[in-house]
Amino acid sequence: MNNFLNNLIIYNGYPLSIVVAVSFHSLILAFLIWLQSTSSAESLELVQPTIIKALFIDENPQVRNQRTIEQQRIREIEREEQRRVQQERELEQEVDRQRQEDEQQRAALIEREELERQLQLAQQEELERERREREQEQEDRETRELAAKQQQEAERRREIAEKAAAEAVAQAARTEFELVQSATAIIQQAVQQVWNRPPSARNGMRAILQIQMLPTGELLDARITQSSGDPAFDRASENAVYSAAPFTELRDLPINIFNANFRTLSLIFQPEDLLN
Amino acid sequence: MDDGISLIELILNASFAVQLVMFILFLLSIISWVIIVQRWLVLSSARKGVFSFEQRFWSGMDLSQLYKEGTQMQQENIQVVGMENIFRAGFKEFMRLRQQGSVDGEAIMEGAQRAMRVAYSREEEKLEKNLPFLATVGSVSPYVGLFGTVIGIMNAFLGLAAQAQATLQVVAPGIAEALFATGMGLFAAIPAVVAFNRYSALLDNVTSSYITFTDEFSSILHRQIHTN
Repeated sequence: MNNFLNNLIIYNGYPLSIVVAVSFHSLILAFLIWLQSTSSAESLELVQPTIIKALFIDENPQVRNQRTIEQQRIREIEREEQRRVQQERELEQEVDRQRQEDEQQRAALIEREELERQLQLAQQEELERERREREQEQEDRETRELAAKQQQEAERRREIAEKAAAEAVAQAARTEFELVQSATAIIQQAVQQVWNRPPSARNGMRAILQIQMLPTGELLDARITQSSGDPAFDRASENAVYSAAPFTELRDLPINIFNANFRTLSLIFQPEDLLN
Repeated sequence: MDDGISLIELILNASFAVQLVMFILFLLSIISWVIIVQRWLVLSSARKGVFSFEQRFWSGMDLSQLYKEGTQMQQENIQVVGMENIFRAGFKEFMRLRQQGSVDGEAIMEGAQRAMRVAYSREEEKLEKNLPFLATVGSVSPYVGLFGTVIGIMNAFLGLAAQAQATLQVVAPGIAEALFATGMGLFAAIPAVVAFNRYSALLDNVTSSYITFTDEFSSILHRQIHTN
């Protein structure tokens, strides 16, 4: 036993202890890294705070434009489909009518053959005329279909052009987006800080204010576009906007961005953190 | 950012001061662990040496025989440690003074005791070596870690001041990195303090048994002088 210990403490035991200490630390480091790698696999779910002081939705004209363009496109597609359906229905009707006519004529022919052979010639003439008419109709139909096809192609081309334009707008908007976002955040904060909610305010109340601003950040006008139903609440939100103005931060914005986004702005006042 | 920051990223992205503090703490932790293990080996072997030597000493063996055994062990390149060293120093001095013959009993006793005292303090020094370092690490490294934390949080708040829109995501990594420095400080300090306390107790135990042995041995020598 004494021998064993003596062997352990060669050079006062330094080599052994250095090995032990270094391996201990590297073990702990490896464990920490392993822990990290396993815990990062299952990402932590962000718990959204339940208390939100106010919600603001800016009526962004760009977004609105994009939305209307999209709606138009959808409407056009719908219209086109309706048109196609109608055309098909017309075609079917025509075919039906022709078939009926044919049958009638054939019946008449048999009768006439049986009863009067003299009228055969005249009837033949009539038949020929009808055939001619039918041919003409077919030709008409073909020309109509061609026209429709051309129209469709033109529409498709227009759609592609529209899509490209929308994409270009989106790209520009992406760079604008951050500016707009930070400016709206500033406005939001400023209004939130001075918003005194009346005692009659309840969770879920909702007042929408449309404000008009100048490029200097001054407030031109604020009016309630959707009342919450509580006059005190409406007044309080109006007061908040008036006392938060002017929004001097808007001066730094490029004028085109201001015009596009902040000339008129809709603010939604909706308390969600009240205790009642 | 989305699914948490990894620890390595956190350390690599820390500011220079915090990184320096972390590095120092890591180094301190490694060194203190080296000392912990090495002291453990030394102190435990010393304690075992006390037991085994006391057994041999009180087994009724002739003292000169015991001394010869020690010399033999030294010739075989086995280290003679602890209590045996004290015994050998005292016995050697005692025998040498006795062989001169002219010296009186009290002087022989004094010489032997002095030799044992010297050997004792040498042994104690051997056992105590590096223990103050553990004490220093234990008391200082929390402060070093705290220093890193303060610097890190300061940086985080400076970054926060530069932000127009302050969010938790801006400060959180800085604070996490800062707190990691404190964590490392505590990680280095806790084992050092525990080991220091444990080893001090062990050291007291061993040295007190050395002192007891010294007294017992000198009483035996004293008896030997006065019986002759």
